[in-house]
Amino acid sequence: MVNATEGVLVECADAAMKQLLLHLDEKLPPDKKFILHDLDETHVFIASKHLEFLQSEIDCFMDSVSFPLAEKD
Amino acid sequence: MAGGSRKYGKKDGDRYDASKKKFAGKKRKDFEDESAYDEGIPDGNEAEGVPEAAKHFIEVEGERQGEDEYGAKDYRDLQLKPDHKSRPLWVAPNGHIFLESFSPVYKHAHDFLIAISEPVCRPEHIHEYKLTSYSLYAAVSVGLQTHDIIEYLKRLSKTAVPDGIVDFIKISTLSYGKVKLVLKHNRYFVESQYPDVIQKLLKDPVIQECRLRHSVESSTDGLITQVQSKATSIQFGKPGTSGEEPGEEGKQVPDDISNFYDKMDKDEDDEDDSSLQTVAFEVNQEKIEVIQKRCIQLEYPLLAEYDFRNDTHNQDINIDLRPAAVLRPYQEKSLRKMFGNGRARSGLIVLPCGAGKSLVGVTACCTVRKRALVLCNSGVSVEQWKAQFKMWSTADDSMICRFTSDAKDKPHGCSILITTFNMITHQQKRSYEADQTMKWLQEQEWGIMVLDEVHTIPARMFRRVLTIVQAHCKLGLTATLVREDDKIADLNFLIGPKLYEANWLELQKRGFIARVQCAEVWCPMSPEFYREYLACKSAKKMLLFVMNPNKFRACQFLIRYHERRNDKIIVFSDNVYALKHYALTMNKPFIYGPTSQNERLQILQNFKLNPKVNTIFVSKVADTSFDLPDANVLIQISSHGGSRRQEAQRLGRILRAKKGAIAEEYNAFFYTLVSQDTLEMSFSRKRQRFLVNQGYSYKVITRMAGMDQDQELNYKNKEEQANLLQMVLTASDIDADEERVPGEIGGRPGPFGRRVGTMASMSGADDAVYMEYKRPSASNNLSKHPLFKKYRTK
Repeated sequence: MVNATEGVLVECADAAMKQLLLHLDEKLPPDKKFILHDLDETHVFIASKHLEFLQSEIDCFMDSVSFPLAEKD
Repeated sequence: MAGGSRKYGKKDGDRYDASKKKFAGKKRKDFEDESAYDEGIPDGNEAEGVPEAAKHFIEVEGERQGEDEYGAKDYRDLQLKPDHKSRPLWVAPNGHIFLESFSPVYKHAHDFLIAISEPVCRPEHIHEYKLTSYSLYAAVSVGLQTHDIIEYLKRLSKTAVPDGIVDFIKISTLSYGKVKLVLKHNRYFVESQYPDVIQKLLKDPVIQECRLRHSVESSTDGLITQVQSKATSIQFGKPGTSGEEPGEEGKQVPDDISNFYDKMDKDEDDEDDSSLQTVAFEVNQEKIEVIQKRCIQLEYPLLAEYDFRNDTHNQDINIDLRPAAVLRPYQEKSLRKMFGNGRARSGLIVLPCGAGKSLVGVTACCTVRKRALVLCNSGVSVEQWKAQFKMWSTADDSMICRFTSDAKDKPHGCSILITTFNMITHQQKRSYEADQTMKWLQEQEWGIMVLDEVHTIPARMFRRVLTIVQAHCKLGLTATLVREDDKIADLNFLIGPKLYEANWLELQKRGFIARVQCAEVWCPMSPEFYREYLACKSAKKMLLFVMNPNKFRACQFLIRYHERRNDKIIVFSDNVYALKHYALTMNKPFIYGPTSQNERLQILQNFKLNPKVNTIFVSKVADTSFDLPDANVLIQISSHGGSRRQEAQRLGRILRAKKGAIAEEYNAFFYTLVSQDTLEMSFSRKRQRFLVNQGYSYKVITRMAGMDQDQELNYKNKEEQANLLQMVLTASDIDADEERVPGEIGGRPGPFGRRVGTMASMSGADDAVYMEYKRPSASNNLSKHPLFKKYRTK
């Protein structure tokens, strides 16, 4: 029996970024896990149905480590 | 006047008696007080001593201004004047003023704006200023009048000045500066040019009590009326060197602006021109504080001025500037603001680090020529101030007295005392010697008090200084008038208004301070480190991003690069664990809290003179007032959160003008190493705000050419990196902490000064009550075992 899952290949600009994906994946409950296959240092294969969720997660994270300069103090 | 000295003696005695009686109870309370020194903790009574008018904030009033579809302020309805091209300002209804720095009348407008408003942001072409009630207060105190301010603002503006702004200026300035507290012939007078204001004040019952009446008064109402003769303004340096050169700028300047400017300039210099009639009444010296407070409540804050030339009670001290000491134009200008009408005003002067703040301080002391007290924030800077006095003035060793825990010169007969804030406010038992010096210090009437790095003292501590020291005028010096809390405003009322603030970029252009290239180097986290970073809790996170092997490599690469250019490099790290690791791995000397004074000096000497020592590692003990004139490269590997002040102070370490200054485009480099995608990125942005507002720009470097090829860098392979990770993970939480410098303000307050008892107290001969409450010596941070520290912080 063959199981087919639709997936997306994700290429990370640096190895650290992939660690973030792995970290996010680890924290999720089993049914939400999105990583199908950890390919190499900068590539992972993820389930495409979680793509949107993933994008918003990463945006959130990036906001948390940046500081808006334009805002008046 | 005999009464004066007796009064001090008596008061002094009282204080000592009282402190003995209450010692036991007071001790604990003070300890609690001290813990509130932390920057973040709000004090309840902060608001007192701030006049009502200062609480009007114009920004709220201007908020009804519409916004355009992009969320920016919409000023399209402001009408331009027909000749707007030759006028340099936009005045927005919310009190912000925008100045074109390329305008032909820039110089006129700039001087004026500095006087009446606070600089917000000053990049190259357009400068932004903000009108605040504090800044207007400062303007009044340097002699500008309400109608002058409004009139000149109207002339400079491209648009009609909004009514709200005019009203705001009126509210903020009308009551300020009308009344002055003048010390003349050692008697305090409340003086004003406006008889009606004096009359109004005198009707107040509290003020009536404070008034000193002599039994025989010549005039019926007891007021002293006098006609002031023209006061000669003080010249600094040679007369020819004053920065005003009437050059070709006249062409495009509309006449009304330039005429007015000339008038304004004259006003500042000798406002007491011709015959100004002033009315005054004498005040009981012991009630000075009462009357000051009352006048603030009545919305007529007293401006303190010191007529030092007519002060015959305090003898002159014999110091002068050396002929070699030449003031730069901006230094002269700042001092002119202070001594504008032949009297000394109290206030703040803001100059960038390395722009010669000490010379301003020394010159002020030489001008007043009365006993001077210099307060700074560390033992090292005490030594540096002494050296500065000897270099710029004719003062010699016998006139200068240092009063620190290490060096106690005999105070008697000296005329300049240099000490630290902690020494003065120290509340525990002192050694006999120190006690004698303190007594002497309290008995003196000081002509001038210079406060170095004034932004570091919390208001509470400063108030304590004021209760101890009697000084006629106070000069605060600082480079960075920012704090992460908003306590800066209080300084306006505790010390005085801001008299002058220099423009960093302008000084840089003219070669007075070094031209600095600021760069932020992004170091990618190694995957292993990043994985741990994501998983661990916050204390460890910090250690992980500081110890990031790529950061280490970048740091090593930069050091090697600049050492080849024969540069002198300082590396800053707030984290001691990282500091030690970096320094030991690269085999460089390092200085941190526990390093002894001797070793520090030795390292610094070597750094200055030994061509083999080109790099030193320092912790945050070197942040302020560590004078390292030769250093021109600064690398920052870890820092104290998002503190703007620290960033600016650190930059100050390399700002001193370099020899052969104009040769290259940049002659100093300021690198901040940041681990990518970590919290450090956001800290780094926050820290940069102050310098960006001063017009500095940061270059972001994402990869450095040649770093991968360099085979001599550490941590090039995975095993080495893994070992490093192991080491970091086994490091304890204490290592992850930032260094705590004992006695540092802002961090956890350590014990102040040294704790040495007299022979009597060591043998237990002291008051038993006192002994019981003596804190155990374990509270000394240095002797505390890390284990205890850990439990204490939890």
